[in-house]
Amino acid sequence: MSGAPGGREGRHSRQVAFSGIGPEGQRKIAEARVAVVGLGALGTVIANGLARSGVGYLRLIDRDYVELSNLQRQLLYTEADAREGLPKAEAAARRLVEVDSGIELDPRVSDFGPDRAEELIRDVDLVVDGTDNLETRFILNDACVKAKLPWIYGGAVMDHGATMDIIPGEGPCLRCLMPEPPEGQDLPTCASAGVLNPITGIIGNIEVVEALKLIVGTERPRKTYLAVSLWSTDFSECEVERDPACPCCGQRRFEFLERAPSHAVVSLCGRDAFQVMPQSTRDMDLALACQRLSAAGKVRATSFMLTLEVDGRELRLFRDGRAIIGGAKSRDQALSLYTEYFGAD
Amino acid sequence: MIYLDNAATSWPKPAEVLSAFRSAMADAGGNPGRAGHRLSLEASRRIEGSRRVLARLLGLPDPTRIVFTLNTTHALNMALKGSLRPGDHVICGSMEHNSVARPLHALERAGIEVTRVRSSPDDGLDPDRVKEALRVSTKAVVTCHASNVSGTVSPVRELGALCRAHGVRFIVDAAQTAGSLEIDMEAMGIDLLAFPGHKGLLGPQGTGGLAVARGIRLETLVEGGTGTASESLDQPEDLPERLESGTPNTPGIAALGAGAAFVLERGIGAIGAAEARHCAILVDSLSAMAGICVTGPSPGRPRASVVSIVMNGADCAELAAILDGSFGIAVRAGLHCAPAAHEELGTLPGGALRISPGAFTTDGDIEACLEAIEAIRRSFQ
Repeated sequence: MSGAPGGREGRHSRQVAFSGIGPEGQRKIAEARVAVVGLGALGTVIANGLARSGVGYLRLIDRDYVELSNLQRQLLYTEADAREGLPKAEAAARRLVEVDSGIELDPRVSDFGPDRAEELIRDVDLVVDGTDNLETRFILNDACVKAKLPWIYGGAVMDHGATMDIIPGEGPCLRCLMPEPPEGQDLPTCASAGVLNPITGIIGNIEVVEALKLIVGTERPRKTYLAVSLWSTDFSECEVERDPACPCCGQRRFEFLERAPSHAVVSLCGRDAFQVMPQSTRDMDLALACQRLSAAGKVRATSFMLTLEVDGRELRLFRDGRAIIGGAKSRDQALSLYTEYFGAD
Repeated sequence: MIYLDNAATSWPKPAEVLSAFRSAMADAGGNPGRAGHRLSLEASRRIEGSRRVLARLLGLPDPTRIVFTLNTTHALNMALKGSLRPGDHVICGSMEHNSVARPLHALERAGIEVTRVRSSPDDGLDPDRVKEALRVSTKAVVTCHASNVSGTVSPVRELGALCRAHGVRFIVDAAQTAGSLEIDMEAMGIDLLAFPGHKGLLGPQGTGGLAVARGIRLETLVEGGTGTASESLDQPEDLPERLESGTPNTPGIAALGAGAAFVLERGIGAIGAAEARHCAILVDSLSAMAGICVTGPSPGRPRASVVSIVMNGADCAELAAILDGSFGIAVRAGLHCAPAAHEELGTLPGGALRISPGAFTTDGDIEACLEAIEAIRRSFQ
């Protein structure tokens, strides 16, 4: 990378002029290696912000493929990406290389599961959270605390969002804030409860700022949990204490990395479909699920089975929590669609 | 749980099978055939005991010609790839499982010619059509004894006689029949018979075997230690050592022997008759339900213990998910690793729902299954 005061060929002159960054800060940004986990609404905002800021190496991790319903908020993707059914990691890298061909983009089409998490965050300085479910964040938290790697938590649904910097060895981790993920079936997801693009923009951009602060190292990272409710313009912050008894950062037990996969995914021969079965069986009220999903697509239910038609594919949910995901290209995508519509648990 | 997926793996297993498995680990933990100490000898004794029971069950006079394998697929690969050389011709049916179809496809690419003869859903592989397909270069005929999708039983005795008359090797995949239908290799003219341990013989998964008729020699797929003739680098000619290199699955084989002994004790005829009666109830009742089509042999024709159905407007994977999730009934949906059979039955690409009663299925299980299918059928209307 170049040592020119304005970054490479003056490309970053406007942020170098900002006193918080300066030429030395820009040099550190150019040398930084950052992983973005999840490339949905939050993740595309984050990847976009970090790439344009000149982060030298960006690892872009997502298991999913671009769909039309993503375009309302996932700002790196186009109709052509959706038509081609490109993996999000590839589509994001293709867009960002057009923005800056001088940074290294490393797309990874992969699930961020317990088996792969540690490998996926190897050799980076910082991880930024663009995931869409808590289950994955607990895996991410374990992997980062284990590797003593800072990460920035961020989440958004409806008009709400929250974010926190997690710096192992210094401050609290995700499990100090929330010892266990709550039961999944009642949690709103972006598919069922909706999401506004300004909230993912705001939370994603705050994550970018915190990432830049951590990389540059001159400003202290924010020490609070920041929550935003956008429709009512409510911003609130609270201090989170580190819990000495925390199983993760206190006792260094990484339970989410050791967990068996939360779902069994079986390919169904002769069709583009996978059965996804949660390890713990549920007893679902399909009529209730039908109401919850009515905003996501065309939905109907019998006493045994709920059918959701969305983005040209059919997803079927059964009373014990299993689902048959039609039109999925891979196990990872099937799992991703399951999580999106039927909730992580 | 009502278990009606016995065509994939039989369940439950007799108590004797579990105790034989445990006892082999606890009381016979040496390496069989590899030393003279008593634990090794005891391990050998368990394995040879299983060989004797299986030889008796399959109508093979010499127990040393029972070769233990991982499963039926392993045994079929040994039989096919150990028999056929480039330039050879082989005939198979049109409803073969991938355990036959895929090795044959691989052999085809290696220069072996394969003719697939139409099998009918009623009668299986027709000896007259096989006869028409015979060539001078025909080395072998291979068929499933019964289709794992439709239950259609092929006339192995007639096919065996035909092969014998023409000096052609007759290879039989007995995955769906060993333990449920009478098999007499000598009387049926079967040269190589591949069988699973974990289905009708009520043994554990990861066991099976290849029964090799007298005078049949196979090239080896695997060479290695046999505990015999170690001074020579050549794989021994004697069976079973020639085809059994490396330490075997002693507990599994001991348990398989116990399962086969259980089957002989209860009687293959009695088990087969009970399964046939349950299948007949399923076929009659399901055929009478509007919107359900039962595949396979017409009523009265022989049928292995599988009944595959399709339901109008419902995907078989959905039916299976509902049967499991809402009714606790285990069945199998899909293509059952036998796309050719589904093509023959007209059930591509969706496949079918397969209900397979076993040795421990009760009348109550069958009634509960029929009631559940009727309830689901109504929910789809």
